[in-house]
Amino acid sequence: MLVLGIETSCDETAAALVEDGRTILSSVIATQMDLLKKYGGVVPEVAARRHTELIGYVIEEALNKAGKSKEDIDAVAVTAKQGLIGCLLVGTAAAKTMSYALNVPLIGIHHIEGHIFANKLSNPDLPYPHVCLTVSGGHTMILYVAENCHYELMGTTVDDAAGEAFDKVAKFLGLGFPGGPVIDKAAQTGNIKAYKFPRPLIYAKNYDFSFSGLKTSVINTFKEQVANHEALPLPDIAASFQEAVVDVLVAKTIKAALERGVKALSVTGGVSANRRLRANFQTAAERNGLKVFFPSLSLCTDNGAMVAAAGYSRLMRGERSTLELDVIPSTPLEMTRGQD
Amino acid sequence: MKVLGLDTSHYLNSVGIIEGERLLAGVTSSARSDSLVKIIANIDFAVKRAGLTLAQIDGFGVGLGPGSWTGIRVGVTVGKMLAYATGKPICGVSTLEALAREAFNANTLICSIIGGGTKDMIYAALYRQLNGAVKQEGDYYVGSPSGLAHLIKENVVIVGQEADFYAEYIKSLNIPDIKITEIKTIPQGSTIASLAQARLERGDKDNALALTPLYLKESAARIYQEVK
Ligand SMILES: [Zn+2]
Repeated sequence: MLVLGIETSCDETAAALVEDGRTILSSVIATQMDLLKKYGGVVPEVAARRHTELIGYVIEEALNKAGKSKEDIDAVAVTAKQGLIGCLLVGTAAAKTMSYALNVPLIGIHHIEGHIFANKLSNPDLPYPHVCLTVSGGHTMILYVAENCHYELMGTTVDDAAGEAFDKVAKFLGLGFPGGPVIDKAAQTGNIKAYKFPRPLIYAKNYDFSFSGLKTSVINTFKEQVANHEALPLPDIAASFQEAVVDVLVAKTIKAALERGVKALSVTGGVSANRRLRANFQTAAERNGLKVFFPSLSLCTDNGAMVAAAGYSRLMRGERSTLELDVIPSTPLEMTRGQD
Repeated sequence: MKVLGLDTSHYLNSVGIIEGERLLAGVTSSARSDSLVKIIANIDFAVKRAGLTLAQIDGFGVGLGPGSWTGIRVGVTVGKMLAYATGKPICGVSTLEALAREAFNANTLICSIIGGGTKDMIYAALYRQLNGAVKQEGDYYVGSPSGLAHLIKENVVIVGQEADFYAEYIKSLNIPDIKITEIKTIPQGSTIASLAQARLERGDKDNALALTPLYLKESAARIYQEVK
């Protein structure tokens, strides 16, 4: 079954063709990075305009790269939940039109479910049940995944998402945007022990996160220097801050996995591309007899392939969206419990 | 030639199918905050009402605005993907021109007005009848209703969803010796279709995938504000 996956929930205009939820025939991502750098972040109106200009070209390019024609498409999947409303509208309008004109099924997907499926696409042998940490600029969650599409929320952030903390600290330090990659880069030559930043909620009994205090701590520590335009030891700050975030993410996810008695961990979302996060997860997982899985780097950030894979799974369960599918900018991922 | 036209520039969406001078089907429904939910159902309803299948439509027309930004983006995206998926041609049409077309019998100046979201901001353009069609005079107008009133120095027919309101307003400014009439109407999908048909019959069409809404110059300022 050939599924066209469309993703426009934030700043990437993306489309992909995926066969049977498993084989990526093409994945095209038009990034709006030039605009983001210009404005220092996502401006919803600007992003929505760019999506409207690019969406048709991106879909056509996905078909061309896959060597397929429109008539080969068996179903259309689209991110319709969670994101910027004006951006979601463009992808969803395109998906509904393609579904109608080609007379094939349509399925609307929650953006976070897309990220969860990115790991399944990269690692077909990812076992169930497992514990999943999905972490990006928009969310930070620990989920117990009993099987495909069966999630139980174990913990979530009570304030900033981890990726958001990266963005804000990077902006404060004048390192640019987006924060994840620039801090990862700056941290390469830094000393992780140079500064002792807090590890919020690391010893808490539950699996919730809070990154706002950590961000504030970094900002307060260097506020005066920044105001006086003094040179900062950027690599050391970046490395110490990053280590604090990573420590919390790793400790809580491992604890969740041990409590639920699973053998495998899935770490996904934009922040899962972070090198220090990957290295520390690997070490901690091995020490605890767990196997950890990461998506390939191209599937960490927003893309159409993960949406197609999630859509395939939902379609196989007999789910369909109608042509009246609407977008929902903010809604929790639907939790469906497996057999208890 | 059977042409399907759609417009979502207001908080409404209107779909019409024409063949030559004949209206085969038309449907207009209100949209909540955008036009996404009902637009495909309305297109499908019109196609079936006309006794056709989508494959039997020879070309498309889509209203490019100005108007509600998110509304137009839905319409333009639906229009471009319809043309792409069916392999049929499409023409983008100014929604202000479509409004002016509703007054094509007028022997006076025609002024199309679309509200810009606030009381002080409107989109407008002036037209004159010419050989059964309408021809735009000058540039698009973006600004306050009073600024527009200063541009009107002769008998005029105001066209638009709030034509009565703007006609009253301009009358209240006591511009001497001008007769002001109004046609209260919304941009009709069938009018968009008919304007597109005129171009399609000449072999003229737009690049479907490149179609983009008519935001007009006001937008740059507003976006800049949003960025700041
Ligand atoms: Zn994402």
